[in-house]
Amino acid sequence: MRRKDDRGHRWTDTGVERAVIRIVRRLSPGWARRKITRRTRLHADLGWDDWYPLRLARPIRTTLHVRPDDRTLLALRTVGDVVADVWGRMAPL
Amino acid sequence: MRASVLAALTLLGAAAGPAPAQQARGWALLVGHSYSSARALTQPATLVVEGERGAPLYTVLDAGALVRGPLADRAWVEAGLRARAGSARTPAQRLYGAMARAYTELDPVLVALGGEYLTDGAFAMRQPAATAEVTPLGGVPGLGTWIGPDVRFRWRPWLGVSWGGGARPYARLSAEYVSGRVEAGVEGTSWLVEGRGCGFVQGDLSVRLAGGLYATASGDAGRSPPRFEPAGRLGIGLGFRLDTTH
Repeated sequence: MRRKDDRGHRWTDTGVERAVIRIVRRLSPGWARRKITRRTRLHADLGWDDWYPLRLARPIRTTLHVRPDDRTLLALRTVGDVVADVWGRMAPL
Repeated sequence: MRASVLAALTLLGAAAGPAPAQQARGWALLVGHSYSSARALTQPATLVVEGERGAPLYTVLDAGALVRGPLADRAWVEAGLRARAGSARTPAQRLYGAMARAYTELDPVLVALGGEYLTDGAFAMRQPAATAEVTPLGGVPGLGTWIGPDVRFRWRPWLGVSWGGGARPYARLSAEYVSGRVEAGVEGTSWLVEGRGCGFVQGDLSVRLAGGLYATASGDAGRSPPRFEPAGRLGIGLGFRLDTTH
């Protein structure tokens, strides 16, 4: 199943997952790539404080071409939640 | 010799969290040491009862609660209450406060504008103030996130100014370290008051017992608003923390 972002680029669910994990990995440079999965918790596992998830906004806008809002970012708990939120903002083909 | 004994805080139980998408549209409740900063909210609220032979029991309470909710797509609002109280403190050393503030993200910084009302325990020194604060979102090792899986240390700086009987600039730095069930944190704030510097430092060492319940050793020293008079204390007790957002 594929969806398209705001610029019309087509994505699969696994493609979105890989892109989100790359973004999270860049924001948590001390973690090995293989340690970050959908189940990784942003606060409990990676140690992000209350405001750090806001750093997801820009790379998601520039890489995945969707616009997450801040209040959603602050409530996300896991990498899987980020993937689901981005996927949910893409339009079905 | 004064013996310290502890009593537990009886507070709300955390309800099971809703799904993230639903929660994002709702409100969150946080209970901790104080609402004065994100670090203070991650430090457990404590109630200590101290006994001394032949004397009445003394209590020391440090607690704050915060409600946080959405204002717009890129802004949200918080309202909170806090108390630094207890019979072991003199009325002048006690502090009660209420505040409301709004945040917005202006990547790469976070900006907060708010209002706060502080009073001492005697209600002799009352201080309404407007505040503006800014913090970088990240970009430096440990700023807002643990340095790595083996170094669970993070820190966050804030710069701000408070208007209430004159402009009062301040800087705050908080840092915390986690190792298993043990959490340690320190937060220091420096104000420029009438041309001279005043500082206040508070720290804690907590061991998670179960859920949001902690055994906590905490202390503070320095001069803090509204009186900026020197004070300090060190105590151990039971602490409680609740955060429905994580």
